[in-house]
Amino acid sequence: MSPRWNATFSTTTRHSLEAGTTVEVPSWAAIARLLVSCLLISAIFSARADELPESPQDSRFEGYPNAPEIRVVPRKDDLFFYPCNQCHEAIQPNAEIRPLSAPHDSELTHGRGLIWCLSCHDVANRDNLRTLLNEQVDFDDAHLVCAGCHANRHKDWTFGVHGKRVDNWTGERTQFSCTHCHDPHKPAIAPRAPQPPPPVRTGLELTPGSEHVNEPAWARPEVNQE
Amino acid sequence: MSKDPGSDDRGKFDKARRNFLRGLGMGTAAAAAQPAWGGDTLSDTFADFFQKHYQRMTSEEITETLERIERKAESRYGVEISCENTPPQPGVVFGYAINISRCKGYRDCVDACVQENNLGRDSQVQYIRVLQMDKGDSNLEHSEHYYDPETVPVEGKYYLPVQCMQCDDPPCVKACPVDATWMEPDGIVVVDYDWCIGCRYCMTACPYWARHFNWTTPEIPAEEMNTDTHFLGNRPRPRGVVEKCHFCIQRTRKGRQPACMEACPTGARIFGNLLDPDSEIRYVLQNKQVFRLKEDLGTEPKFWYFSD
Repeated sequence: MSPRWNATFSTTTRHSLEAGTTVEVPSWAAIARLLVSCLLISAIFSARADELPESPQDSRFEGYPNAPEIRVVPRKDDLFFYPCNQCHEAIQPNAEIRPLSAPHDSELTHGRGLIWCLSCHDVANRDNLRTLLNEQVDFDDAHLVCAGCHANRHKDWTFGVHGKRVDNWTGERTQFSCTHCHDPHKPAIAPRAPQPPPPVRTGLELTPGSEHVNEPAWARPEVNQE
Repeated sequence: MSKDPGSDDRGKFDKARRNFLRGLGMGTAAAAAQPAWGGDTLSDTFADFFQKHYQRMTSEEITETLERIERKAESRYGVEISCENTPPQPGVVFGYAINISRCKGYRDCVDACVQENNLGRDSQVQYIRVLQMDKGDSNLEHSEHYYDPETVPVEGKYYLPVQCMQCDDPPCVKACPVDATWMEPDGIVVVDYDWCIGCRYCMTACPYWARHFNWTTPEIPAEEMNTDTHFLGNRPRPRGVVEKCHFCIQRTRKGRQPACMEACPTGARIFGNLLDPDSEIRYVLQNKQVFRLKEDLGTEPKFWYFSD
């Protein structure tokens, strides 16, 4: 491919130099070669386009290379309202973006307003979730939905570095899913109270003013030594 | 009538003498009520005295020792425990990693460790310390051990849990004058509590403040006692010996997670086999930016920290 391009270019350049003008006058042979090469390139690209998957079903996520086999702790039994179709079968789907009424929480902090219920919940079948490629995903496989945006975290989770593994360090890997720890509608985890501090060892009690010990000497308040 | 000063002293002496005699009588009564030798049988007391170093005992001697430990625990704490001697798994060297961007300073690991390892509730011994550090500061001397705010994490702080690093070249082992501490084939540095003489040289040798001395006999309420114990791990310890984190040897040698990792609600703790290329710990070492504390001392800790 590249020698052909080089040959064409050098032919036209030489011709223009010989002519002693700035206007390029390519030879017919060079134009013919150019056309042939253009055809070749388009043929190659069209061949590649054929290899690319056309339907979303073919692009279904099949895991990261060398990823270990994991079993995900199911979560459907913990969901209070599941199966959702108990109610939603009778309700006409409403795709309009609006604050929801009870029993659903009207607040959705996830995505800072860029996503909405139907970004993750399937509009046709409420018992399923959907990915960004509009694939149907079971509630127990919710991590596949999260992976659409949080790919780095999802990869870490797949390799057991993010999230929690259940009970053992060897043998079968069972892991909690994303939604066990993160509320998918409010994913940030709220601060909570710590366990009590360790007892101060005898002789290591804080002396007056020692809470300022990390500050530079000139910034410490004067301590009454009497 | 003026009181003779001497008679008051005499009265004091009489009182002391009476108390002494009463105490003697009660002691005899107590000795009659339960077996002599502090609740143990004479043969158990002798066997304790002549108990060999763990590594020099035959398997029969170890079995006898384990049974004796169980008997003694029952008389001391009133709880039936099982003391085991699970051997190390072949082809396993344990390693630990903590994700410091996940750790929120809840101290759930400390609590679980105290429960799991039968640490004395009164003896001020805790294997894990969670240090509160200023963001951008890695100087351990600026760390806050006793933080107790309403809620954690505190803005502008990060949390660094510290425990035994299970060094691959442990200075504590070199310091021990009686070989009461050593590294097991699975990389865990353990203590034979019955061989330790309590000199505390290992505590001074340890750069991580990971070894702790039992100034008093650890007191554990019977209902809080963990009955699943290991000879080199969480069996009841006597007074005057040094103890340390042993990666929950009684759990990890059976394939379970250490108690601190199981208790961590954030998943910041990662534990596994360093020799298994597919383990989580190896993924951390290969894919994350890890560091170790006081690496320049050359003690080769098997304990890494990372953030992501």
